[in-house]
Amino acid sequence: MSRGALALLVALALFAALVLWPGLMTPLLRLVAEPGQALLYDRQPIRVLVAWHLALVGAAGVVASVVGMTLGVLVTRPRGAEFMTLARMASNLGQTFPPIAVLAVAVPLLGFGFEPTFLALCAYGLLPVFENTVAGLRGVPAPVREAARGMGLACSARLWRVELPLAAPVILTGLRLSTVVNIGTATIGSTVGAVGLGEVIIAGLQSGNTAFVLQGALLVALMAICADLALRGLERRMSRAG
Amino acid sequence: MIRVTGLTKRFDGATAVNSLDFEVERGEVLALVGTSGCGKSTTLRMLNRLIEPDEGRIEIDGRDAREVSPDALRRGIGYVIQGVGLFPHWTVAQNIGTVPRLLRWDRGRVRARVEELLDLFGLEASEYADKYPSELSGGQQQRVGVARAMAAEPAMLLMDEPFGALDPVTRGRLQDEFTAIRQRRGITAILVTHDMDEAFRLADRIAVMDAGRILQIDTPERLLRGPREGFVRQFVGLDDRALRILSLHRVSELSRPAADAPAPAQWVAPGDTLREAASRLIWEAGDSLAVVENGRVTAEIHAADIWRIGARGEA
Ligand SMILES: Nc1ncnc2c1ncn2[C@@H]1O[C@H](COP(=O)(O)OP(=O)(O)OP(=O)(O)O)[C@@H](O)[C@H]1O
Ligand SMILES: [Mg+2]
Repeated sequence: MSRGALALLVALALFAALVLWPGLMTPLLRLVAEPGQALLYDRQPIRVLVAWHLALVGAAGVVASVVGMTLGVLVTRPRGAEFMTLARMASNLGQTFPPIAVLAVAVPLLGFGFEPTFLALCAYGLLPVFENTVAGLRGVPAPVREAARGMGLACSARLWRVELPLAAPVILTGLRLSTVVNIGTATIGSTVGAVGLGEVIIAGLQSGNTAFVLQGALLVALMAICADLALRGLERRMSRAG
Repeated sequence: MIRVTGLTKRFDGATAVNSLDFEVERGEVLALVGTSGCGKSTTLRMLNRLIEPDEGRIEIDGRDAREVSPDALRRGIGYVIQGVGLFPHWTVAQNIGTVPRLLRWDRGRVRARVEELLDLFGLEASEYADKYPSELSGGQQQRVGVARAMAAEPAMLLMDEPFGALDPVTRGRLQDEFTAIRQRRGITAILVTHDMDEAFRLADRIAVMDAGRILQIDTPERLLRGPREGFVRQFVGLDDRALRILSLHRVSELSRPAADAPAPAQWVAPGDTLREAASRLIWEAGDSLAVVENGRVTAEIHAADIWRIGARGEA
């Protein structure tokens, strides 16, 4: 087993243990807690929070990937070149506009909870996928592209069988960045009532309970590390196949 | 057969290819030579419609190339890309099988063809078929590039510096392989190179290009004996033209009868070039050499005959 796979296994095991038996964390949390304070967040089971957190990041990730990759493919086609600036502006805007501001704008339109957070994460996760799709497709060596055309591969065959497979590792890096960043960013959803691990942190901040903050932060960080390791592994496997 | 008339291409107002006319007969190899940027690749890329000409007409086997869909046209023309351009995520076998698969050959036929080609190019199928391009040396990659172009038995090959960027020994071996394949199969090809020696070795006719124009198009011998003033003369190089002319001829053309005898220390084979024979004669300071086949003298060749071929005037 490679070192990457081993690290992933350890991280996943640790994460699963802390989700299923939150009590395992108490010795650590005791170090930061004031006397008499609760150590473990118990208004909602951690499992439920983790599931919603994952659902939020996952759904936003799927949308950001589909939109980002589609845009990336379109602007690298000869006919789509003129939309490059427009698409880049749109995805840049998604990234530079702070997610918290997106929430502020979205809540009056979409109400509280899942939807505005989902929207903010979609916008925030778009840029890395889009940029890396463009970079990956542009990185396909010119002789390879010329060969594909010169052999008589049709447009769609060139895209699906040559360009996308060769760009896949780079695109996957974008997906990984987008996912990891969004796992952290999703915590702010709890300020507008989205169910997720942010709830634990915010409850801690509001009641001055450092143990809650630490518990929530640890879980979010571990989740991000797992996602990072898993997607890195996939990337390695893909570039090895190439 | 290819017939090109008035072929012209401009990039942003600059003329890359300027009103070319030429023909390539079935079974003929035409070399396009010239300095970097003179429009060789641009010419090839118009022939398989990777770029569209601004003016002029391309006829392939009597049909206007514009009447054929680009993808169909390209599947019928082997193309060796400048810079090889193997698909890095496909194995050698998949690379070579690209066009046959597009033409929907069945698996067995593709596999057999791949093995045949690997064999033809001196690559052991069992060892190389399932390797990825990154696991091959530069010379092996170039061979696979040429094999891929020939895979679907195209009526015509376009080769853009197929043996470029190789050491002289490997290059020489690939040139020999190409010649051997040509003798066995017959190849109609346009070969781009900026190596004049390669053109002399492989081509039936040579077109010397400069700044988008063909300055002279002729057989190697006529190009050597009568190069036009100016660029052609300079590019063809006159310093060793006598020797180059000799390398275009075989010993068998000049052999005279001789008595049967065992092979002496110095000899030539009927298939050797006159250049090799001349070199040996100079070394031996002799005026004749035995021609040997299967260890027996079958003929002899005279220095005076060789010098006559290398002298001006003869054509
Ligand atoms: N797609 C393109 N866009 C603009 N200019 C081009 C393009 N392709 C070629 N050119 C120009 O056309 C001219 C001829 O280029 P071409 O590639 O045909 O040269 P070449 O003879 O093949 O040179 P080399 O031996 O270096 O490969 C050059 O001046 C080049 O800069
Ligand atoms: Mg070129």
